[in-house]
Amino acid sequence: MQPTRCLLKRSVWKGPNIVPLPIVRPVQGQKIVPIRTQARSATILPNFVGLKFQVHNGKVYHDVTITEEMVGHKLGEFSTTRKPFIWNKK
Amino acid sequence: MVFILGVNFNEHKLVQKALETFYALGPQTSVRILAKYSIHPRAKIGTLPPKVITALTAELSTMTIENEARRVVQDNIKRLRDMGTYRGRRHAMGLPVRGQRTRNQIETAKRLNQVERRG
Repeated sequence: MQPTRCLLKRSVWKGPNIVPLPIVRPVQGQKIVPIRTQARSATILPNFVGLKFQVHNGKVYHDVTITEEMVGHKLGEFSTTRKPFIWNKK
Repeated sequence: MVFILGVNFNEHKLVQKALETFYALGPQTSVRILAKYSIHPRAKIGTLPPKVITALTAELSTMTIENEARRVVQDNIKRLRDMGTYRGRRHAMGLPVRGQRTRNQIETAKRLNQVERRG
């Protein structure tokens, strides 16, 4: 049995889900433009650390700044897709 | 009455069941500990010599069990919460984390899914 089966993880032979994103290294002195993307399933790679993303949630783009501990997670985990339920006050 | 790791056990209790009363020590680990110290699986605590009792206590004190294990779980949840992931948010709301439906039958999630998880 593959070890990933019991860990309920993605198979190792596939590697991380690498999506070609238009990553531009921020140049000194210029304004940092966030990377706008709809690829919620893209794995956060170590070279994303410190970059700003705008991740689509189906309606709007949420700002996400990548920190070191986010590596290995997916972009979509940081952009919530659900509206919180609020009881209608009357 | 026999003390293992500061906990008082009845002499008629099975050794395996006594070991499994510790948090984060399940059937698999308890069977391994019994095999390591050559204790019969159905042995009662009263039949153990004091030397084995002290050896068991020494073994358990090196493992991550009880509050130490609880803290590991809490730290993992806190990390998710601080990052702002979906899983962390669901823990903070006390709702199911892995996409279960929430119309009904979420009592376990309500009880367990908290940032400061107790169970």
